[in-house]
Amino acid sequence: MSEIDIKRISYLAKLKLPLEKEEFYANSLKDIIKWVDNLKKIDTSKTEPLHNVTEKTVSIRNDEINKSNSVNDVLSNAPDRAQNFFKVPKVVE
Amino acid sequence: MSNNWEMVIGLEVHAQLNTSSKLFSSSPNQFGSEPNENVNFIDSGMPGMLPVMNFACIEMAIKTGYALNFNINKYSVFERKNYFYPDLPQGYQISQFEFPILTEGFINIDNDGNQKKIRIERAHLEQDAGKSIHDIDPKFSFIDLNRVGTPLLEIVSYPDLSSAEEVVSYMSSLRQVLMYIDVCDGNMQEGSLRADVNLSVRKKGGELGTRCEIKNLNSFKFIRQAIEYEFKRQIDVIESGGKIEQNTMLFDTSTGETRAMRSKEFSHDYRYFPDPDLLPVNLTQDQIDKVKTSVGELPQAKLDKFIKDYKVDKDIAKIITVEKQNAILFEKMISETDVKPKFIAAWLVGDIFAFIKENNLEVSSLNEKTKEITDLLKLVSDDVISNKAGKEILPKVLNGQGKPSDIVKELGLEQVSDSGELEKIIDEALIGEEENISKFQSGSDRVLGYFVGKCLKATKGKGNPKLINKILLDRLKK
Repeated sequence: MSEIDIKRISYLAKLKLPLEKEEFYANSLKDIIKWVDNLKKIDTSKTEPLHNVTEKTVSIRNDEINKSNSVNDVLSNAPDRAQNFFKVPKVVE
Repeated sequence: MSNNWEMVIGLEVHAQLNTSSKLFSSSPNQFGSEPNENVNFIDSGMPGMLPVMNFACIEMAIKTGYALNFNINKYSVFERKNYFYPDLPQGYQISQFEFPILTEGFINIDNDGNQKKIRIERAHLEQDAGKSIHDIDPKFSFIDLNRVGTPLLEIVSYPDLSSAEEVVSYMSSLRQVLMYIDVCDGNMQEGSLRADVNLSVRKKGGELGTRCEIKNLNSFKFIRQAIEYEFKRQIDVIESGGKIEQNTMLFDTSTGETRAMRSKEFSHDYRYFPDPDLLPVNLTQDQIDKVKTSVGELPQAKLDKFIKDYKVDKDIAKIITVEKQNAILFEKMISETDVKPKFIAAWLVGDIFAFIKENNLEVSSLNEKTKEITDLLKLVSDDVISNKAGKEILPKVLNGQGKPSDIVKELGLEQVSDSGELEKIIDEALIGEEENISKFQSGSDRVLGYFVGKCLKATKGKGNPKLINKILLDRLKK
């Protein structure tokens, strides 16, 4: 099993971990992965990858417009808004 | 900077599909609406909302598959590409990764009169993200989710391009094809078509270098500028002993420079996995075959036809085939008259296009007026009126001021093509011109122009110049 880079994982998950908890979480994750790694014991060399268990095809719809929600519906859960925009802390890359 | 460097470029082109509704939701796929007007709970990533595939997007992908010589895959899979950004409310973009709908296509581009084949690795369907506006407030970003879920076809080329000109030629050929098959409106200004440029440099024929990706270029001018700047930048780094780091670059349109996006502490890992909300796409051969008939004639086929069958000059044929609308208008005119296509083509790219440009019109707005236009061109090509008179009348005809034949009569522009009458005028014009006549007979061609001018003037500009020329030559050679 590869080492757990807990700093990177928390960055990718956008989670802030307190420094003193890092080791705890790293060990917890290790345990989980160790358990999942049990799957590796199964020989899958002759098995095709399966992307969905139902083996059906994607459900489709026709290209038709249906406006189901208003601007106010959509913005009603926004932490903050300015006119009809969502207003969020500055993010610039 | 030494000259033995070359650039190696691959392009990722994002084409917005011009469907009515979005890829996985029924919200309108429309540019320029009020902020967050075209958003529903699926687009805004509310918990529990399920995406449902818009089949028109699949059909457009198949159409593109035919037009760009792709393998059209019956089996493709939508996956989640995970990253956090405020204009991506789901926290992931639904895209195709391991199993795209199209693989291994190509397009031939015109490169200085030669054809070059550019291979295309893949094309896949994915969702567009929303828009963040950073410059309204110093502390906050404003988010408009209208664009979220807009269907994109991302077309990824192999690194077969080796100059800014080739890239522009590739991009405009792609644009032309996508517009011909009516899957994308090609409006680069509105972002309907935009490119990420992957560029590396190497010594001529040497090994590939490390590439940098310049994101989101939405005009031919910016593409050209960004490539030229980045090419120089990479060479400068290497020649001064540095190393190119694989980076994502932004192009600053105000300075014409590229700069690295704020370097990330950790490299990205999108952790793709099949989207459990969406079953794999399983197309039947019948569904794929059905689309074929809607592809229509492609730009290259039109160009060949115009040159070979209609005998239009290559350069003029190219101008006409640039946009499908032009070609439609041209072919409609040809079908309605016996005037030579070559003659029509010259008028189309000349005075007719000039009129369209001056009046800010759509080419297609003339589709209703082809009868009047061809009637007018017939009068010119039959020498009933002069070329000059034709040019004068054209705007009146296009403005709907009457039938060409009526306007000609009204303005008294009919040419004098009665040779008896013209002979009389010419004979009069030659009286007292013994000196000039002998000049002509001793080889001065310039005198001919003088005589033609004099005769035209005597007919008040209505004499048929071709006929005048002919009669004059006859007379002068005696």
